[in-house]
Amino acid sequence: MEIRPILSALLRNKTGAILVALQVALSLAILANALHIVSERRHAAARPSGVADEQSVFSVSVRNLSSGGPEQQLATQKREAEVMRAVPGVVAVANVNQIPLSQSGWNNSVAVDRKQVDETAPSSFYFSPDSLVKVWGLKLVEGRDFLPSEYMDIDANTNVTPRHVIVTKALAEKMWPGVPATGKNMYFGTGEDAIEVRVVGVVERLQTQSAQVTARGEYSSIAPMRMYGGYPGALYTIRAEPGQRERVIRDVEAALRKASPTPVILESTTLDKHRADRYRADLALSWMLVTVSVLLLLITASGIVGMASLWVTQRRKQIGVRRALGARRADILRYFVTENFMITSAGVFGGVLLGVALNQLLVSKLEMARLPLGYLAGGSLVFWMLGVIAVYGPAWRAASTSPALATRSA
Amino acid sequence: MFSYYFKLGLRSLRRNPALTALMVLTLAIGVAASVSTLTILHMMSGDPIPHKSDRLFVPIFDVAPADNYNPGEKLRENQVSYLDVMNLLKSGQGVRRTGLYGIAAPIEPPRKDLPAFSAQGVAPTRDFFAMFDVPFLRGQAWSVQDDERGADVVVLSRDIAEKLFGEANPVGQRINVMGFPFTIVGVTDKWTPQPRYYKLVGGEQFGKGEEFFIPLASAIRHETTHNGGMNCSERSDPGFQGTLRSNCTWLQFWFETASSGERAQLQSYIDNYASEQRKLGRMKRAAPNKLFNVTEWMEEREVVGKDTKLSAWLAFGFLLLCLVNTIGLLLAKFSVRAAEVGIRRALGASRREIFRQFLIESAVVGLAGGVLGLVLAFGALALIAMQSSEVAVVAHMDLTMLAFTFAMSVFAAVLAGLLPTWRACQVTPAIQLKSQ
Amino acid sequence: MLRMTNLSKVYRTHMIETHALRGFEIQVNKGEFVTVTGPSGSGKTSFLNIAGLLEEFTSGEYVLDGVNVKGMNDDARSRLRNEKLGFIFQGFNLIPDLSLFDNVDVPLRYRGFNAAERKERIEDALAKVGLASRMKHFPAELSGGQQQRVAIARALAGSPKLLLADEPTGNLDTQMARGVMELLEEINAAGTTILMVTHDPELAVRTTRNVHIIDGQVSDLVRKGPTLAAVGSNAAGATVA
Repeated sequence: MEIRPILSALLRNKTGAILVALQVALSLAILANALHIVSERRHAAARPSGVADEQSVFSVSVRNLSSGGPEQQLATQKREAEVMRAVPGVVAVANVNQIPLSQSGWNNSVAVDRKQVDETAPSSFYFSPDSLVKVWGLKLVEGRDFLPSEYMDIDANTNVTPRHVIVTKALAEKMWPGVPATGKNMYFGTGEDAIEVRVVGVVERLQTQSAQVTARGEYSSIAPMRMYGGYPGALYTIRAEPGQRERVIRDVEAALRKASPTPVILESTTLDKHRADRYRADLALSWMLVTVSVLLLLITASGIVGMASLWVTQRRKQIGVRRALGARRADILRYFVTENFMITSAGVFGGVLLGVALNQLLVSKLEMARLPLGYLAGGSLVFWMLGVIAVYGPAWRAASTSPALATRSA
Repeated sequence: MFSYYFKLGLRSLRRNPALTALMVLTLAIGVAASVSTLTILHMMSGDPIPHKSDRLFVPIFDVAPADNYNPGEKLRENQVSYLDVMNLLKSGQGVRRTGLYGIAAPIEPPRKDLPAFSAQGVAPTRDFFAMFDVPFLRGQAWSVQDDERGADVVVLSRDIAEKLFGEANPVGQRINVMGFPFTIVGVTDKWTPQPRYYKLVGGEQFGKGEEFFIPLASAIRHETTHNGGMNCSERSDPGFQGTLRSNCTWLQFWFETASSGERAQLQSYIDNYASEQRKLGRMKRAAPNKLFNVTEWMEEREVVGKDTKLSAWLAFGFLLLCLVNTIGLLLAKFSVRAAEVGIRRALGASRREIFRQFLIESAVVGLAGGVLGLVLAFGALALIAMQSSEVAVVAHMDLTMLAFTFAMSVFAAVLAGLLPTWRACQVTPAIQLKSQ
Repeated sequence: MLRMTNLSKVYRTHMIETHALRGFEIQVNKGEFVTVTGPSGSGKTSFLNIAGLLEEFTSGEYVLDGVNVKGMNDDARSRLRNEKLGFIFQGFNLIPDLSLFDNVDVPLRYRGFNAAERKERIEDALAKVGLASRMKHFPAELSGGQQQRVAIARALAGSPKLLLADEPTGNLDTQMARGVMELLEEINAAGTTILMVTHDPELAVRTTRNVHIIDGQVSDLVRKGPTLAAVGSNAAGATVA
């Protein structure tokens, strides 16, 4: 293996080699980071919300045009729920304040002790006078669901507060690491005004309405209450029989309209749509990054092929001389592959450094995640292989050079 | 000479179609990627109201309780409380002021064949229309008295007016909003500033415009719930009235000054206001009181999201790669022309002439790349716009970006051509001629 | 050393056939210094290429140092070329990006010698041509004559049986040319067979044997004493004093 002469010749003729190495370095740096981001976003979008069989769940927002006073609003809500339950194909209905992944809703600070200055965690705040555990198929891992006696209907104009709460496992771990949460007291807010509630159960998972990609996305609490008398309308979440969602939506809307003496404005949204909306931008970014990655590989490959072809053409005479001096075809092939390997390696080395630097920039300026070394390692392998594949064509052509070229005049 | 070299450049492109295609394509892809992301960036960060953006200001106060305050922590408020809105409206600071919040209300069309629908609008004070240059198609904003007493008057958007009344003039008519009869006093012309800078909190920052406007006092009188965000840093009294009295922040406020130079004066006003409020037991944190002009506010609200910035950086890295690639290809292209250069030099061309010839040839490649790049960019933007209607608004090429595409492509190609061109000039005529 | 029997070389391009060599016969013995002359287009370059295993021939037989090259594949020919032959070209053909040391090194690498052996051979070869002190220099820094001498060193480093020289003095001035010829004569005296193509009649005269090729056929002239007697197919009427 004639490494030293190849290296020495390369160093005397740096420009082309530097150009190729630079392309490899840039591509590797961008590729590694891009694929990492794609993986992160894909993983985020694949997270379960905690709701079982999401395709069967949808929500309806009902706005009544003449709502009357708080008591009338309460009666209307109860009636609407009953009307919906009576629709064939409806498995369960719950009046609720927000839907997971819907990107609109309530958050509360929660604390373990009212004397705390800072919150322990920010939590998404769900509340319903019906069993969300039942409608959404949430999995209880500790304690129990609310008892019928624990549900409260609270007039928004009064000071009544809930007394019980169900939290997610992630939130329970954050608040009371390593110990069961059931029976513990939790506080919404801190200080004297903080609302004290007792944990009656823990569910495995319920994402927040924003589904943040950090741990925060799994911190949710559920309170057994309904708030009425404020906003003249209500939001309901409904589970339909599997496969019947579309029909059930139509039937539920028709039933609500029929049952209301005054006009109602209805807006139905499936949980699938909320999910699609939440992750639309992430998936679009993923596709863009994948496209860019493919283009990166193609362009770098073309650069390698181009430069190698140029060198083969420029060194035709020299190759002929080598052949005349006894080089076999395989020797010429090996020369070019070795030369290319050295250039690619220089590029890979630069690419690793550049990739880390780029990631550092992304982490500090755009709050992205750190790049695991595996991406750079894998990427390096890809580019080494790409180099060998790309140079093979021109190298093969070079190897076919006739040794008689040496005796031809310039 | 320029047209001669230009023609030579074109001819040279034709001579080796494969190499030319590769070069032009690579450059075009790089240009397209950069231009499409830059276009989106440009549309998103463009100043929506350039003649005024440095004299419209948003004040933000830290109204949270003092007990859990860590000095220096990032300000968590992004709106103001009702108390502050009322006080600031009375302050007389600046030439105009407005406080507003977003609302959603059911509208019952007068025509019985159209069902009631939920419309998205905003409840500002009267100065809003003048401050933000809202154009009127018919009628005008409500009167000062209507503004003060919260009369049931409404300004509709052009789209809603057409939906409800067709081509007829609806001014003076009544429609039911939130179940109450409101008199239409005006219809705004198409007004969709991108982004919706006057109300960046709560709701989409880009997209369709407001569908209706009612006076702030009117919305308050009807106890209309906000259709946006609310942040309560401490427990408040229950009910709508309790919210009005509380330190919950759920409204947005704007000052307009006569010139940008009055900013310091405005800042000292709000600082004074805050200390006065402290004496009344509010704003106990004594945190810095912030003032943002339009561009600062857009940055604070992260209108240009992180993903957009990421895309822009990535696109530039990609363009850089394409540039290095093009340098290599141009090097290859020029190096096989050593003989031609030798002959030209022998026939009297100076180094400078050779330089000019090959640089112009690079520019020709750039122009071709620009044309193709533009086509590709349009395609890319169309693809990106498919994502959502919100994005479609900003994935839109304007004349500036069009010209920019060509400029960038030619500039990139010339930049890439510098090294190969310099190399071409170094050719010694004698050597080239001897080996013929 | 070298024997060709009834050799033919035909070039076929599109529809045209060109006979570069026809019924070519030659035998070169060990230790001879043979010059090959002939007008341009006569086929002397083809002869050299075939002799040097750089090209294949169409028909006939070629035995080199006891080895019949018929049917040899490219790899085998390359190896034979590497081991038995040394080349010197008109245009020197040094590799510009390699130092003199590395240039002489090239054929040795393909031979498979280890680093120590190579180093010894290179230093010996360069010493023999008088350029050992400039081992680390590059071809561009040398005069034409010096470059040719490096090329000779390269040809010698592998201890070849047969040296093939294609117009080695063609690009040199008279003084340098004389120097190179003297070097070649020294090498020949030391026992290496040399086959040299030239169109310089002065050089042709210096050797004991001259092969003249016209139209692809050989006219072999051997100098015995002050006269050259013609031997070979075109012998009739070819007497050179």
